[in-house]
Amino acid sequence: MFWNNVETKPYGGYPIAWDARLLELLGPQTWEGGTYTGKTIFESAPEGHVAVGFLPEDLDWVHPNIGEDETSGLAERGMHLTIPHAIWNFYLPRICNHCSYPACLASCPRKAIYKRPEDGIVLIDQQRCRGYRECVRNCPYKKTLYNTVTRVSEKCIGCFPLVEQGRQTQCIINCIGKIRMAGWIHQPNKMDPESPVDFMVHVRKVALPLYPQFGLMMNVYYIPPVHVPLPYLQQMFGPHTERALNAYRQVKDDEELMGVFLLMGATDRWIEKFRVKSGWAFGYDDKGSEIVRVPLKEPNYIRPFHDAARSVYRHNIT
Amino acid sequence: MFRMHRSRTVALAAIVALGLALGAANVVLAQAPSELVSRYVTTSASLTDPLAPVWSNVPAVEMPLTAQSAAPPALLQRSVRSVRVRSVNDGQWISFLLEWDDSTRDVRASRPDEFRDAAAIQMPVDASIPGGCMGARGKPTNLWHWKGDWQNDIDKGFQDVTQAYPNFWKDYYPFVVGKPPYQVPADFPSTDARTYMVGWSVGNPLSQPMRVTPVEELAAHGFGTATSRSSQNVLGRGAWQNGVWRVVFSRPMALSETDTVQFVPGGTAHAAFAVWNGSNQEVGARKQLSSDVTLSIEGNPSSTLPWWVIIAAGLLALAFGGAIVYAYIGLTGPRTS
Repeated sequence: MFWNNVETKPYGGYPIAWDARLLELLGPQTWEGGTYTGKTIFESAPEGHVAVGFLPEDLDWVHPNIGEDETSGLAERGMHLTIPHAIWNFYLPRICNHCSYPACLASCPRKAIYKRPEDGIVLIDQQRCRGYRECVRNCPYKKTLYNTVTRVSEKCIGCFPLVEQGRQTQCIINCIGKIRMAGWIHQPNKMDPESPVDFMVHVRKVALPLYPQFGLMMNVYYIPPVHVPLPYLQQMFGPHTERALNAYRQVKDDEELMGVFLLMGATDRWIEKFRVKSGWAFGYDDKGSEIVRVPLKEPNYIRPFHDAARSVYRHNIT
Repeated sequence: MFRMHRSRTVALAAIVALGLALGAANVVLAQAPSELVSRYVTTSASLTDPLAPVWSNVPAVEMPLTAQSAAPPALLQRSVRSVRVRSVNDGQWISFLLEWDDSTRDVRASRPDEFRDAAAIQMPVDASIPGGCMGARGKPTNLWHWKGDWQNDIDKGFQDVTQAYPNFWKDYYPFVVGKPPYQVPADFPSTDARTYMVGWSVGNPLSQPMRVTPVEELAAHGFGTATSRSSQNVLGRGAWQNGVWRVVFSRPMALSETDTVQFVPGGTAHAAFAVWNGSNQEVGARKQLSSDVTLSIEGNPSSTLPWWVIIAAGLLALAFGGAIVYAYIGLTGPRTS
């Protein structure tokens, strides 16, 4: 079971077609400007249920890499690089979104799922779960998973033991592309511009939730890929996608945003506040002590051909 | 003659109408019995054989089932129509036999989309309260829950990943012993090896690979509160044959614990029944359930009177018999003069 999985869009999914199937069940998802006028999964609940959902079949889970690296179409002679790409794909890493209105929590008739007040991490009580899998049916992102051996359901735990120690989660720490960051998010009217996630989501508005129309107010935000055609992205990230892409395109002239991006993967510790000053980005803990500093432009070091200290010549240092 | 014919015809019609009405009433009554007698038997009632001969002499009460729709997630249409219930006791143990029609034998809940057959008896701890509705605050209820996958774990050994996916292969787990493909629990003896099987490590009864009984005993005081009891006293066994499940539940009648239903010879209790059909993805609240029955617990007939009454009755009978003989001799006169 993959509490964190990375799937290739457009054809990948773990489980297979988890999003396409629910979008179809949900029916038309209409927007008026920035306001969603369709139904959430709770409002679309069929009789006797709390949300609309489906239980994936066994075989939907057995190909986590289906569609990996597949492009949206075939390459044709004469194609060249454009933005957006004529044929495209992108990788979508997914974890439990620790939603503010979790469908899993609402679905459990035994209240075996709870959301921690101290950090918002959503957990399945392993003593209380009886493997009914109502949460598996109703989580739109299919991030509650049934354990074949223990016959109860499990999910991403938000690495809460690490979070309690002031560190980021394992999936974030280990991302070699350094494209992930954990941080605190607040409601828009209470946002802290010094919190890196509040800054990206509420100030620069460069990051968006995935399928907001489901209505769960998820707490994982994505910076949409600029090379993918807008209609596809709008289906996933909503009507503010273009604004997010424009903010992203400004980053070379936006030192603050550049600084936040460079703080991603710079430390395994949780960055409570950040600041960008004099060509450097600084990350601070909750006490205001500096955790990490990253230069906005990596300095160039020119080493002489002969290393006198070691009496060797430097070769192949391209 | 003609008048007699007409009045006879009218009378006949009235009788037929009454008969039909009574018949209809009888049909209604027969579909929702409210009484179940736990027959006293002299053989042992500590039963774990649903096919034991004692059951064939005990009449069954057929409980119609309705799909649960009081709380989400609801079952919209029942897949099992009724359950036939029998009960016996020997003064020490009480047993119930539940029998229902199910064309599929669902005894595995390993794959993410498979569910198992199950059946349950719900009995309020306070024997005077009707069963059903999972109890209420201050009115706890006991649940005896038999599960098809627990039965299969006992009959065929713990159903691990390898049983659900025969070609499965895994070459390493941290702290595992033995050889691949590893089997739970034998190859995971240490607590370190069980670290990532959290349900097992924290003692969730659903996750324990070594089963003693296929019946779980729970307590509840309302929807969604059912919790496994720390002390488990119910034995049982289920067997499926030709599209019919037969499941026996067996427990000592009196227990020293105060939070369980007690069964008293000559007394009563209340019970309701539920059945789950795994192939219909039924689990938890997606179930069909019966209405409440009053369970009358038959005691030992010979022990229902005090001993001195029996002896006094015997002496009286002898005296009465003697009096009749004496009167007969007196009336007919002595044989010899």
